[in-house]
Amino acid sequence: MDLRHYVIAHEPYYRAAADEVDLFQAAYADRMPMMLKGPTGSGKTRFVEHLAWKLGKPLITVACHEDMTASDLVGRFLLDAQGTLWHDGPLTLAVRHGAICYLDEIVEARQDTTVVIHPLTDDRRILPLEKKGEVIHAHPDFQLVISYNPGYQSVLKDLKESTKQRFGAIQFDYPPPEVEAEIIAHEARVDRNLAQQLVGIAERSRNLKGHGLEEGASTRMLIQAGRLVARGASLQAACRTALVLPITDDEDIRAALTAAISACL
Amino acid sequence: MASSPPDRKRRLLEALPDQPEFVATLDLVWRQAQSSFPGARLGEWLEACHVLAESDVGRDCVVSYVRSAPAIASAAGADAALSIARMVSETATRAGDRAAASLAMVAPRAARRLANGAAFAEWLRVIKIVVAAAPESVTPLLDRSESLLQELGVQGFEAWVLDGVRQGATDPQKRLAFFTRRDQPTLRTASREEDEVSLSDVERQLKAFVMALWHMAPPIRDLPSGAPDRPRRASFAGGIVRLPSSFRGQSRDEASLLYRAAIAHVAAHLQFSRTKFAIGSPKPLQVALISLVEDARVEHLAMRRFPGLGRLWRPFHIATPSGALTAPALMARLARALIDPGYADDNGWIQKGQEMFFAEETRWEDPGISRSIGGLLGNDLGQMRVQFNARTYSVEPAYRDDNQGLWAFDDVSAPVDEQETIFESVRFEREDDAEQPDRERETPEDAADGQEANRAALVEVDAEVGIPVARYPEWDFLIGRERPEWATLVEYEASEGQADAVEDILHRYPVLEQRITKLVRSAKVSRPQRLRRQQEGDRLDLDACIGVAIDQRLGDAPDPRIYARLERRFRDLSVLLLLDVSQSTNDIVPGAGRKVIELEREATALLAHAMAGLGDPFAIHAFCSDTRADVRYYRLKAFDAPYDAAAKRHLAGISGGFSTRMGAALRHAGRELSTRMSYRRLLLIISDGEPSDVDVADRRYLVEDARHAVKSMARLGVDVFCVGLDAGGDNYLTRIFGRRNVLQIDRVERLPEKLSMLYFRLLGS
Repeated sequence: MDLRHYVIAHEPYYRAAADEVDLFQAAYADRMPMMLKGPTGSGKTRFVEHLAWKLGKPLITVACHEDMTASDLVGRFLLDAQGTLWHDGPLTLAVRHGAICYLDEIVEARQDTTVVIHPLTDDRRILPLEKKGEVIHAHPDFQLVISYNPGYQSVLKDLKESTKQRFGAIQFDYPPPEVEAEIIAHEARVDRNLAQQLVGIAERSRNLKGHGLEEGASTRMLIQAGRLVARGASLQAACRTALVLPITDDEDIRAALTAAISACL
Repeated sequence: MASSPPDRKRRLLEALPDQPEFVATLDLVWRQAQSSFPGARLGEWLEACHVLAESDVGRDCVVSYVRSAPAIASAAGADAALSIARMVSETATRAGDRAAASLAMVAPRAARRLANGAAFAEWLRVIKIVVAAAPESVTPLLDRSESLLQELGVQGFEAWVLDGVRQGATDPQKRLAFFTRRDQPTLRTASREEDEVSLSDVERQLKAFVMALWHMAPPIRDLPSGAPDRPRRASFAGGIVRLPSSFRGQSRDEASLLYRAAIAHVAAHLQFSRTKFAIGSPKPLQVALISLVEDARVEHLAMRRFPGLGRLWRPFHIATPSGALTAPALMARLARALIDPGYADDNGWIQKGQEMFFAEETRWEDPGISRSIGGLLGNDLGQMRVQFNARTYSVEPAYRDDNQGLWAFDDVSAPVDEQETIFESVRFEREDDAEQPDRERETPEDAADGQEANRAALVEVDAEVGIPVARYPEWDFLIGRERPEWATLVEYEASEGQADAVEDILHRYPVLEQRITKLVRSAKVSRPQRLRRQQEGDRLDLDACIGVAIDQRLGDAPDPRIYARLERRFRDLSVLLLLDVSQSTNDIVPGAGRKVIELEREATALLAHAMAGLGDPFAIHAFCSDTRADVRYYRLKAFDAPYDAAAKRHLAGISGGFSTRMGAALRHAGRELSTRMSYRRLLLIISDGEPSDVDVADRRYLVEDARHAVKSMARLGVDVFCVGLDAGGDNYLTRIFGRRNVLQIDRVERLPEKLSMLYFRLLGS
């Protein structure tokens, strides 16, 4: 099995806000499991893609959900005409063939699921396939990366202490205004002025975090707003479509946000 | 035997030779009557006049009626005029001739104001209620009727009048006092028209707006009503932003914009007018102009950051370079010239102001320029000898504040404190004095109700200061609407007793305690979970089936556990126990020989012990009430507090007093509970009696309000159950909570079986 399809061919754009790229490379050199923390849309996934490209390793991404079982990660037996057939799950694939395995939003998965990564994330670096009676020693290129957003999940959903302590962590946040404007300008192909305006608008929305909004507008949302403008939408309409309507169903907050955005223009 | 109206008239006049005034009046209005009573109605009206004239109603009343009837008929229709005839006679019988004469005189004015038959009929209906229920108050009410209608509209009039009737249900003096009092605090809430935007409608939005722009949360309050002759303006003196409770005469959209512009302006002050001007020497005119320049300065600074604010503010500046050269007009033009650089004015003084202000553009950060420019302009204006009256002056345009917050008066507290309070979001609000008269008025009656003994016991509680935290609406079944912000909920510190007393309860009922704990533990109130690889179940587990097939091919014994099923395995339930601690809980439970409040304490202690042992989130609150201005609320144990000695002391310290205004307490508890992140949220109210309060004589009113509150809980996703401790209370408790949601117990020993029913229902529904 080769992982050619998982290799990222072109450089994904990533604008470093600090020394996170160097840190990650150092962690990879030692195959240290990494945890990316931060709000949604702050560039965690893009960062992993960028690093996978930079390191020239295939990247296997798994979006975790609350019904996910260990089999979904590790693999399972299937039946075929001849009998049973073992099918590697995404994690096993990465461990066997040497890829970076990225478990997105790991806290969504059930806690009994997440423990399968324990033997992989200490110095054993093994993955026991209980059903198959096999122990896989991780490929030298294998690295485990997980992401999680400590903000919006309820207290019920948190990583076990024993899981947390196996990882190094990089904190992601919305970049400083200048950098964020640069990112928006690049990604949405809009001019710097517009990008800066969008960053100013984002600050209004982020001010409302905890005061009516669960989370302020993310960089990703700003880029989407910028793209709408680049395609000819008016800035007002783009902000409404990309920044206001998706983020809240609360009439009052929506009206306040719209008014605040209109004050920025 | 129909005869023509003129014949009828002639016969009528002949029949009443001894009433010359009547005859003269009828002649006087005859032409008008002919045009306002169409066709046969004229005859009917003459008949009505005849009946009235021959009844024992006073002559003055009859004459007044005859004089007003055509006007009523032309404004509100012939039916209205005819029904007034019956009303006049009824009023005369019940409330006296004077009231009847007032009715006849006021009716045409009311008819003209209301201008349609249906509204007039409503008005008449309200008057009829007053005639029947409060005859002594008819005259004062009618005297005020026109201004009240103007202020409140017919619906508000109805709400206000019914409230007065209810408040003084048994006491004519009290009713009279209500209807003659001028500065009605109640008027304020009753006066809200349905389509008017009030501060409470937009407050949340305004807070979010300021938070979004400046990341600050200044406390926002109603502006206490001030002098009626001056338009009301926002204010931020003393660290609290005060906004008018409504902007009269503005459409919905306009009022929303005005509020938004006002809060944006005040926020600009809070952001950029950091230091106050010492009042020092300036004259009133200079104070006004310095404030005006300061307004412009902070607005420009705010617009540098948020250029869109200009679009919000500028449309309110409508002054034009024309009109009288009075100080207010010139200042309105100056205000426009300073915020709108494109505005050109031919007045030299305004041009000078505009030039000076924009010449300092680089120094706008410095509040000193407001003082110097404003001072100079004030001097100039003073020399132009234009009239300026500081008493009647009000800042224009309407979104700007009264500038009180800009000036440091000698007797206010240090500015440092104020700055701090501005940026603090204050959760608890101290109440304005508006509600105070109500309470004072009620106090003597409390004592009269034979509660003296109880009063003494409660002095200690009284001495503690409660903090008003919220106002809740109350449902009035008579008008079929909610009375907004009607009941004020005041939180008090719970008093403390001996924690041992609560421990003793557990020791007294060891078996019961175990049973309840077991019961609570076995109640699995949560989202169902899928269990796989089960011996039995309602569906096949695909993974297990594959396993079987594999085992068969391998020649192994297959695992028989191939089923999956859904099951509730955990308990994800937040419980709020709300205890009624009104005076009636000091009564003995019939048949049990114990006080209700003891029973409450025991039941709560047992339940709390079980829930605490199992780690379930729960809170224990208690309430009683002393009029709608003081619905008392105690937190014995909060959700995030442990069930420790302090909570037990609070539970031991509950004592009965005051009344049971259940609706407001339910709403408060429900609102808190609705924020809990749980699969189910249970509000368990333990009460002994019918809702009642000293300021409500209508027994049904609070029952209906509580019923309405319970219904609204369902919308918040809160399940409400009531544990009734009074076997006789079945009827109204069933009415309030619904038959399925009331558990009647008279002995604490019966709690377990009732509780299991409760959990069963929670799961079943």
